[in-house]
Amino acid sequence: MVTAVTKGLSLAKEVYQDRGKRVRELRKAGKKIIGYVCLYPPVEIITAMGLIPFRVFGDMNETITAADQVSTTVVCPFLRSIIDLGIKGKFNFLDGIVGAHTCDIGAGLIIQWRDYVKDAAFTHLIDVPHTDHAASVDYFSGQLNSFKRHLEEFTGQKLTDDKLAKAVEQHNRQRQLVRQLYDLRKPDPPLLSSSENLEVLVALFSLPVDEGNELLENVIEEVKNCVNKQVSKKARLLVWGPVFDNTSLYELIESAGASVVVDDTCVGTRAFWADVRPPYDLQSLAQRYLVDIKCPRTYRQSEPAETARSYDKDLESRFNYIRKAVTDWKVNGAILQSVKYCDTHGYEVPNLRHYLDTLGIPSLYIEHDYSERSLAPIKTRVEAFVETLG
Amino acid sequence: MSDAAATPAKTEQKRAINRLKSMYPLRNLVAQDYMDTLQASNEGKPTVWAMLNYWEGDLPLKAMGLNIVYPENYSTLLASTGSAEPFLDASDSDGYPTHMCGYGRSTIGYSYRMMKEMGGKIPPEAPAGGMARPTLLLGSGIICDARFKWFQALGRYFDAPEWCLEMPMMGTFEGTEPDLEGYQVKFLVKELQDFIAFLEKLLGKKMDWARLEELIDLAVSIHETTYQISELRKAIPGPMHSLDFWSSMPPSLFFAGDMATALKFYQDMLAEVKERVANKVAGINTAEKYRIVFAELPPWHSLRFFDTLAERGWNFVFESWGYHAPRPPDLSKVSDPLEKLARLSRNFIFNIHPTAKADGVANPLVETFLQIAREYKADGYFMHPLISCRAASAGLRTSQNFLLNRLNVPSLWVEGDIIDKRVFNPQETLARAEAFEQTMEHYRKVRKANGLDW
Repeated sequence: MVTAVTKGLSLAKEVYQDRGKRVRELRKAGKKIIGYVCLYPPVEIITAMGLIPFRVFGDMNETITAADQVSTTVVCPFLRSIIDLGIKGKFNFLDGIVGAHTCDIGAGLIIQWRDYVKDAAFTHLIDVPHTDHAASVDYFSGQLNSFKRHLEEFTGQKLTDDKLAKAVEQHNRQRQLVRQLYDLRKPDPPLLSSSENLEVLVALFSLPVDEGNELLENVIEEVKNCVNKQVSKKARLLVWGPVFDNTSLYELIESAGASVVVDDTCVGTRAFWADVRPPYDLQSLAQRYLVDIKCPRTYRQSEPAETARSYDKDLESRFNYIRKAVTDWKVNGAILQSVKYCDTHGYEVPNLRHYLDTLGIPSLYIEHDYSERSLAPIKTRVEAFVETLG
Repeated sequence: MSDAAATPAKTEQKRAINRLKSMYPLRNLVAQDYMDTLQASNEGKPTVWAMLNYWEGDLPLKAMGLNIVYPENYSTLLASTGSAEPFLDASDSDGYPTHMCGYGRSTIGYSYRMMKEMGGKIPPEAPAGGMARPTLLLGSGIICDARFKWFQALGRYFDAPEWCLEMPMMGTFEGTEPDLEGYQVKFLVKELQDFIAFLEKLLGKKMDWARLEELIDLAVSIHETTYQISELRKAIPGPMHSLDFWSSMPPSLFFAGDMATALKFYQDMLAEVKERVANKVAGINTAEKYRIVFAELPPWHSLRFFDTLAERGWNFVFESWGYHAPRPPDLSKVSDPLEKLARLSRNFIFNIHPTAKADGVANPLVETFLQIAREYKADGYFMHPLISCRAASAGLRTSQNFLLNRLNVPSLWVEGDIIDKRVFNPQETLARAEAFEQTMEHYRKVRKANGLDW
């Protein structure tokens, strides 16, 4: 681990505050680090090849400057931040980077990386179909096979079935532990804050899977056994939206008198809710990533070939997992947050709010530009919203 | 297309842009589509709202005898007639974020007006008679995320069934894997089979396969003809202004109108452009001083601005890749109509990948910019990043960098929007355009010094 004495929540905070520290150490020891963007590059394949997957985030506190030379300002500021950091050499500990066509700008990031960031020896872009049609799952499985082949060329190693199965088990174990971590926020008051929860999750994206699993076990034990510092609050919120990798938003919400008890974001539950199901082959991975991850980037319908459609039935099929979260975590309000210029989430907003209305859950929509300073004007709106939940 | 008058008016004959006579009948075909769809709807026949899908959906729909309108195209009409704002407001009022695609927002607003305020009737302020209420919504996964998310969002207003067409998309290096084409075609054929089964179930009738084959053949002929027109546009002076291209592209881009008629009209256009080339007649009525390529979508609400530039000798000789059908692939050895269709559509995305890879360009879109600049001997690019369109704007900076660094072709960077006219400032743009002329003159000399031939 990072140090012999630091573990549990303290270790999570330490890793959260310096995400690259551990992988730099590992790289010095001869390991290769593969960065990945978004949720769709299967980490199991990277781990199984003996490589360390490292999820790439931006930096909300770093002003975007270099990216202005290579991209327009009307695209996702999160992705702009990543390419900005890449050009500035802040990911120079990566041996490669993998992206996926989870959205157009996300796919474009990997292409830009090839033109403007010269550090990485390996780059790969995985095409992800837009629907969960049966043919699309087969196509996506073929894409994963291409990715596997490319990594085999890069490492000179073959990916065996045994190696893949072992990596799937490790990552499934991590998902199971994360679900246990989320269970700790079901009580009132929750046993840990949403900021602490996020620090753990961000740490997991920064460590090898076995170290992440050990961290999770320690955190869960620590939280269960320590005196609960949390207080009961009248608002128990669900936070929805695309990537949010910084505790600032959760701190803002919790300082407004609410507890964030669960989320539907791609740094949170979306990354960990679905396991890979047996037989742990590429088709199983395709099923998990394309069908079982519930991200608005995938076009879902209650029945793809139905010729009579009901809007309400459609919403139920797209969002019923949120109904379950609302019930299980006793949610009484939702904050829908999105980074500006995110099309896949933006088109979802009125429909999800409608669905939440049918559940009797009031909601607030907020937009930011992936900078801490853009959160300040939101504070008053969040406070007013939390007040209404009293 | 968007500057949609039915016939050439006297005022247009005085314009600085020398419009092709053969453009007008092509432009009228799209207007005919709106009228036909309204009539079909009035007669209780099914009608479709479709996204541009680069032909994989258009042709099966037509073969099934369906009338189609394209909200993406209708939005250009809303913009060019100054009708968009109330619909944008309606979208905003229903909770859609204001940074979304202007096309999407305006037709979401239109749908909101139609279904929430007009009881399902066409809003009276809708230009060209409006779009008839759809009985099928056809989204597409090609080019941009809005193409399927926007159509899914329309499901909020209509109980019409939805379908989303798939299309692979990936980077240059992955896109040139040796076994890729067959694997992609297999995927697309399966998707098309499922789509046609869905249509048959929806309409209660079987696909007319003979008609589909006939339409695929017509599509190939149309694209072969438009490709030849594009080739002729390399001539100096440029014989066809971008305004004529935009006005005449719908019958090629999404097969507006009757396809046999469209083919005849494009053949007429080919003949007229050929004649202009032979006689060195330009697409502008002043001497061609600067050969400009436009990227990406124009400000539909301010097309008159191009006349001002034409008066200064700016000839917009070509436009960026996304609106031009490439030369069709050789389908003579393919017997399955769905495989033909898959290959025709796929070719639009993947035809440039091998060239881009050979040229060491990571982004195939950037390669198209370089190729067009070389072949059309561009003095400059008019870059029009759109505040509400990620797909058309995201790669422009990289294209700008490559054009300058590799070919010494400069770009004029003018922020604007396809729908929202408030973000386009014609006075400021004109002032910058005047200054840009000096830049183009300078880089002409640099190119010559570097051994380039323009």
